Amino acid sequence: MVLATYDLWAFVSENHAELLDGLLNTLKVSAFGIAGAFVIGALLGAARAHRIPVVSQITAVYVEVIRNTPILIQIFMIFYALPQFGILLNQFTVAWLSVMIWGGAFNSENFRAGFEAVPYRYREAGYALGFGRRATFLNVTLPIGGRIALPASINTYISVVKNTSLMYGIGYSELSTTALNISSLTLETLEALTVLGVVYLALVWSLSAAIRLLETRLALPESR
Amino acid sequence: MPDWAGPVARYILEEGLPGTLRVSAFAVTGSALIGIVFGTLMTVRFLPLRMVIRFYIEVFRGLPILVTVFIVYFGLPSASARLEFGPLTSATIALVLWGSAQVAEATRGAVQSIPREQHEAASALGFGWVGRHRSVILPQALRRLLPPFVSLLVNIIQNSTLAGLIGGLEILDAGERQSERLASFPPAGIGEIHAFEIFGAVAVLFFLISFPLTRLAAMLEKRLV
Repeated sequence: MVLATYDLWAFVSENHAELLDGLLNTLKVSAFGIAGAFVIGALLGAARAHRIPVVSQITAVYVEVIRNTPILIQIFMIFYALPQFGILLNQFTVAWLSVMIWGGAFNSENFRAGFEAVPYRYREAGYALGFGRRATFLNVTLPIGGRIALPASINTYISVVKNTSLMYGIGYSELSTTALNISSLTLETLEALTVLGVVYLALVWSLSAAIRLLETRLALPESR
Repeated sequence: MPDWAGPVARYILEEGLPGTLRVSAFAVTGSALIGIVFGTLMTVRFLPLRMVIRFYIEVFRGLPILVTVFIVYFGLPSASARLEFGPLTSATIALVLWGSAQVAEATRGAVQSIPREQHEAASALGFGWVGRHRSVILPQALRRLLPPFVSLLVNIIQNSTLAGLIGGLEILDAGERQSERLASFPPAGIGEIHAFEIFGAVAVLFFLISFPLTRLAAMLEKRLV
């Protein structure tokens, strides 16, 4: 049996370059995924809330498919199945694309609920002031509904960050894959797992703290 | 149906599906039992106990489930040789840690939503803390927990696929093994890539299990609230 001694500092200092690269990749994939999920969610959520024909129905199917299948299968579909049709994507593209598609589906439900929670009389007031449909959406529904949707959508972004760890399944060198690969060479398993736990909790907890902060900062005037 | 489809389907349903069902059943049961106890204890006024459970909840809800799976599968054996579990058991334990944290948080909210008069009336009838919660408070709180329970079941079934990443044989892993087998040269395989058909079928299988459950959760939510 190998007598392992726990030395977190040695592990971090010897491998800090690789670990930092892994963390950077995790952050990059998360940032792409979150930005995409925001755009997809706001657009499709608006289409759903305003019952725009065709787009609304397609969105409903998209949301149900993504919600009712494991994200790991979605990742495998993009990584292993698309090449069958000549679409060969590298691991980084698969990584951000899959979390973006996943986050976009959940986020469009968040935004739909947010937009639908805006009382109709607000929109009526917009029309009465001479705003068109689009101007009413941009000036009335989006700022109010977007704030209502904010806590739920940040929860989706937190899940996006956590889901980047699944790229271990396709061997993309984000934080989890990097830490585990190092530990399988050096046998410093507990040190690698400590790093993973601390970094992910720091990321997730600071995002949750951001929710609470933003909730009070962006609270609607009437609920203050 | 092409020739290769029969054996692949049989392997996924006979070897993979039992793994998925076993992990899911044990993980849901374990999460519910531990989660309800922890969630109820969260309403006790003893601060250190509340802080310990709060920490448990925040840690296991905060960690990606895959990292918890790694901690159980790779970490526990290096801490003590007696804590070595197979891939499916490790995934089950990790899912219980995550699921019980989810249930505990939901239970705390449900228990606190029961009006104080219910506690007072039960105490006036001579119930102690345990009897009061078992016979009066939890039966009412659990009704409100039904929709989140169904959602939890869906999440646990979907996340049982994580077992495949550490080599546990469940539906997705069964599909992956078959897809790799077909791609290899004869006699083992046929030298063809059928990843789309196989993973597509696995996705349909998960959809058929999940969709009725998410509908049920939405329906219960409307009816019980």
